[in-house]
Amino acid sequence: MKILEVMAASSVLNQRQHVGLQTLSALSGITTQFLGPTKTYKIIQDDATGESALVSSCYRVLENLELTCAVGQLVYETVGAHHRIYKTGSGCLLFMAGAWSRVALECLHRGIPIAHIISAMSEGMDICLSVCKLCSIPNKELYSTPKAQPNESIVKDSASHQLSSNKNQRKLKLSRHFQQPNCENISMIPNLNSENQNLTAIARTLSHGYSEAMDLVIKASQIQSEKDLTFDIDKISTCLLPCSAEIWNCVLPGCIVPVCPEKALIARNLEKQDLKVALIDGHLTSTYRHLGYNKPKGLQHVSEVSSSDNHEEEWLECIVRLILNLEVNLLLISGIADGKLKDHFWKHNILVVEKMKLSVLKTFAMSTGTILVSYATQLNSKCIGTGVTVNIWKDLSNFANKSNHESFLNLSTIEKGGLVTVVLSSWIQGKLQSEEDAFLACAYRLHWALKDKSLLPGAGVTEMYCIHQLQKQALLYASGHKSVPPINPGTAAGPYTGVVLQLMADGFIDFVMNVMVNTGKYSKVQARTVVVEQLHGLDGSVNSAKMDQIRLKDHQMDSHYGESMICDNLTLKQEVWRKALDLVFLILQTDAEIITGVDQKQLEQRDLIIL
Amino acid sequence: MRLCTMSRLEKKQPARCTDLPLKNADICSKLKILKQLLKSCYGPTGRLKQIHNNIGGQVVTTSTSVVLLPTLSSTEPFINLIRTSIINHISRFSDCGLFAGILCLSLIEEAQLSSLRKDVCQKVNKYLLGLCTSYLQQEDCACKVKVDFNSSHCLIRLAHGVISSKPACVLRESEILHITRLIVQGFLLTVPCDKPGAVKLGRIVTLAVEGLPVMDSTIFPGLLLETPDLSLHLTGLLNCGQLRTIIFTASLAGDLSELGEGTIVVHKGMDVEVQILDQLLKIGEKVVKDEVKLFMCQKVIHPVLQQYLRYHGIVVIERLGINLLEPVIQLTGAQPVATLHSIPPRAYGKVKEITIRQFGSKIMLHLVPTEETAICTLILCHRNETMLNELKVACEKAQHVLRLTLRDQFAVYGAGCSETHLAAYIRYKSKTIDLDTATMFGCMQTEYVLAAEGFCRSLESVTAALDHNGGSSLIDLTHAHHWTLPTDMTTDEMDRTLGLCRCGVVQYCKDYKWSFLNTKYTEFSPAAVSGEADVLDSFTAKVNGLQVAVETANLALDVQYIIQDTN
Repeated sequence: MKILEVMAASSVLNQRQHVGLQTLSALSGITTQFLGPTKTYKIIQDDATGESALVSSCYRVLENLELTCAVGQLVYETVGAHHRIYKTGSGCLLFMAGAWSRVALECLHRGIPIAHIISAMSEGMDICLSVCKLCSIPNKELYSTPKAQPNESIVKDSASHQLSSNKNQRKLKLSRHFQQPNCENISMIPNLNSENQNLTAIARTLSHGYSEAMDLVIKASQIQSEKDLTFDIDKISTCLLPCSAEIWNCVLPGCIVPVCPEKALIARNLEKQDLKVALIDGHLTSTYRHLGYNKPKGLQHVSEVSSSDNHEEEWLECIVRLILNLEVNLLLISGIADGKLKDHFWKHNILVVEKMKLSVLKTFAMSTGTILVSYATQLNSKCIGTGVTVNIWKDLSNFANKSNHESFLNLSTIEKGGLVTVVLSSWIQGKLQSEEDAFLACAYRLHWALKDKSLLPGAGVTEMYCIHQLQKQALLYASGHKSVPPINPGTAAGPYTGVVLQLMADGFIDFVMNVMVNTGKYSKVQARTVVVEQLHGLDGSVNSAKMDQIRLKDHQMDSHYGESMICDNLTLKQEVWRKALDLVFLILQTDAEIITGVDQKQLEQRDLIIL
Repeated sequence: MRLCTMSRLEKKQPARCTDLPLKNADICSKLKILKQLLKSCYGPTGRLKQIHNNIGGQVVTTSTSVVLLPTLSSTEPFINLIRTSIINHISRFSDCGLFAGILCLSLIEEAQLSSLRKDVCQKVNKYLLGLCTSYLQQEDCACKVKVDFNSSHCLIRLAHGVISSKPACVLRESEILHITRLIVQGFLLTVPCDKPGAVKLGRIVTLAVEGLPVMDSTIFPGLLLETPDLSLHLTGLLNCGQLRTIIFTASLAGDLSELGEGTIVVHKGMDVEVQILDQLLKIGEKVVKDEVKLFMCQKVIHPVLQQYLRYHGIVVIERLGINLLEPVIQLTGAQPVATLHSIPPRAYGKVKEITIRQFGSKIMLHLVPTEETAICTLILCHRNETMLNELKVACEKAQHVLRLTLRDQFAVYGAGCSETHLAAYIRYKSKTIDLDTATMFGCMQTEYVLAAEGFCRSLESVTAALDHNGGSSLIDLTHAHHWTLPTDMTTDEMDRTLGLCRCGVVQYCKDYKWSFLNTKYTEFSPAAVSGEADVLDSFTAKVNGLQVAVETANLALDVQYIIQDTN
């Protein structure tokens, strides 16, 4: 039975309230604590099972919540899709969706028709996107011209006012972030070329409070780009090391795989050798068949003489013979290997590594010229690659580890393959996920920065310009909207546009204030005062010259922390805003929920209209 | 010994019978909800509906009848009767589903409200439907335009009308235009030119890419196929003249899955798998000998065969799927092979070149046809899945609407203008009706006028459903087109606020007289107007929608009993 629920929409709208938008606004409360560079953890507890999760990002919260309402699911879908591509920015997305859903609610409350709200908010978005265009700093400028060097955030800018009396304290507080990495770089790779420095400079501006994670990203990029300036995110994998000190965080060329002690023994024998490698995508068992193969159902075997079933034995012999003939030392497989076969290989000093990620296998295939096969029987001399080395990276046999994976092997290619593994460790298992998320967020920020070839001034500066431009345009409308040329001639400027733009600006103010409050240096009131003061300073139009002035001004204020510029990603920010507004538009225009397949019980519980 | 399961006997429930469904309060309220629901979705500013199963399934946000109506199945057969009839219309014409639904439900409601006998309403409805359709078919019909294939204007406006009336796509005007242009371009690509004999229309294959901006959407002649592991296997790309192609529909996985039920008895020493693989490799040898360069299979290809083919420099594509099979056949001209035993010489087709294209994270193989084959691939991009799904539906609809112009080379004025125009036309025609015609329906002249008025009001109620922002709908008393006065404007400011009628063909003129929609006005013969309209609707879909609505309403009025077998 299918049942229709009409969310009593018309009656709700008459009261100038919109349940969907209210839900969105309430949901966005999740994310307020996660904005800005200071990160806090939340614990999500499941009362039913007693399980709990430690989370530090909006996406992970949503992932751990059971959102059954339609709006909740729509939010999760949107944030999930965003996270898959960008790995960062979901908090900002949800916050802005919440802020703008409050704008839409306020507009409805004031009796502005939905079509007008949509066209005015679209115009607001155009204003913000054009601000982004004006504000964007080409990556080159970041390290070439001195005037563009330091662009201080309002957050830090005013922090300097407060703390100028006590410079020592401040230095102490920030020194770890700004000085340590530089020293390390120099010690690690003595002859840094300029391009590497450039990449590092860009990365530094994007750490957003995760400077340790960004250090790892920079190291990974340096390992990848000894020859040319590239940062290939697809070839970076992570290895999580639970129950170990965080000092073990490191970056290594190649990949890291956990293995049992017996395999470590073989690996020890193979260390420092140029190995012959075979790659298999599938299980190495006699019964394994490729994907899409249907085992025959009605097949009967008959024979005159009773013979023992030695099919498996034959298979085993055949494989061992084949591998020995091909002189393969290393077998990397995506599935698992037959136990008896492993014993044979052990005898012959052949290392089998199971459960390899397919993407890693492909990278090995590309860099060694090996052909990936499904069955071992497919192997011939043309499928075998060379130039792979193995060494024991870590032997944890001394530790009381529950799993029998006590050693970690480092598999890498002699020729540069670009494959890099980042090892993340923590004593607290629950924190590992957050650490990995932080690393990936940093890695993807650098990836997108290089793709965009430009950056945005971060730490709220871009948002401040948006607020400024929105308010300016709103004032123009208020002073007599008929004469104002709309930013985009395509959108019809209604009489309400001014009001809506002002409200949108308030949404951004909310955002900037929240970021400031989260730094722990401001109360809400203080934050608001600072924002208002800063806005007064921004008279005139946004153009690149103006931007430079602001930068210079900040530069003078904070010249001794020149390298501490903070930037945001251009495309990422634009996408986050657009997606947030999309969510608001979709929900704003929705007036009913249709629930399919409700049973009789639910019917009685809820106020549904049945069709 | 055989075990018998005890059969469970259950007393049969008596059938449930509902007398005069239209007098049933429950059914009436459900009809009202359905009408309200359809009305609220109608037009470019229509409201969206979130469809979900309340247990964590995907949430669909839509206002499109194609998506909406199938989910609205009711416990009441009477509702489903109407719903099914509209769904049938949509499956044939794609467009005007909501139009037909709203009109049908309005007609039923008008008949209920009037004190007229049902058979009078039915006869008059039928008569007026005939009047409308014959007027629409007339050469000098004032609410249709001839589609001029020499210019793209009409086609663009038709497609634009479909795309812009789907607010769940969340598109800006520039994005709507971009998509519209792609659809028109696609339509033109699928109409083969300079081909003697029977013309076979091509196909647009749509590929959706989530996460990219709408403006990245594009169209390519030829086919784009998503293939995994491209980077691994395609080192040297092929673009040297004609590439010989073969397509298999039989599974090449090396199993016996296609033998069906039954048991095969084999000798112990015989390995069936090896035998089949040998057979597969024989196919491999044959195609290598015949210099095939592109090897495709609808299903799975055994890894050993794949390895063999790739080793010989052949591009291998497996798991094409049933949907892509037909376009691939059309593009290459190959005859699909369904057995493992022999390859007839005429099985081979050809492709001009193969290139790699990348969209977001998707890497695709682009098969370029040797000659114009009317197959093209539309890449649709949007920021999120919900909006992308709606966009996909809207694009399919627009493609269908454009195709319908090949059948009837006409379009009708959109944005409610043709409905108000038709209503005015019927009112004018009804004024001059004589007694004889009235007696033909078995009623008095006044009764006829009452029934005709109900029909006109129903038409106008569809137009009125376009407005969701509290503006007032007007019609001019010259051309009977549809105009909108914004909420906060008075009639004094009309000259400033009313520039063009909703479909954009009539310009504001001081001398026009005005009437609010659904208020009485003196009958007049609506005058023709010339000019280019901004909003056009599909002629074919609208005429059929009109017929479906009236006939369904008449059928619904006819229902005396509903007998439901509850077992």
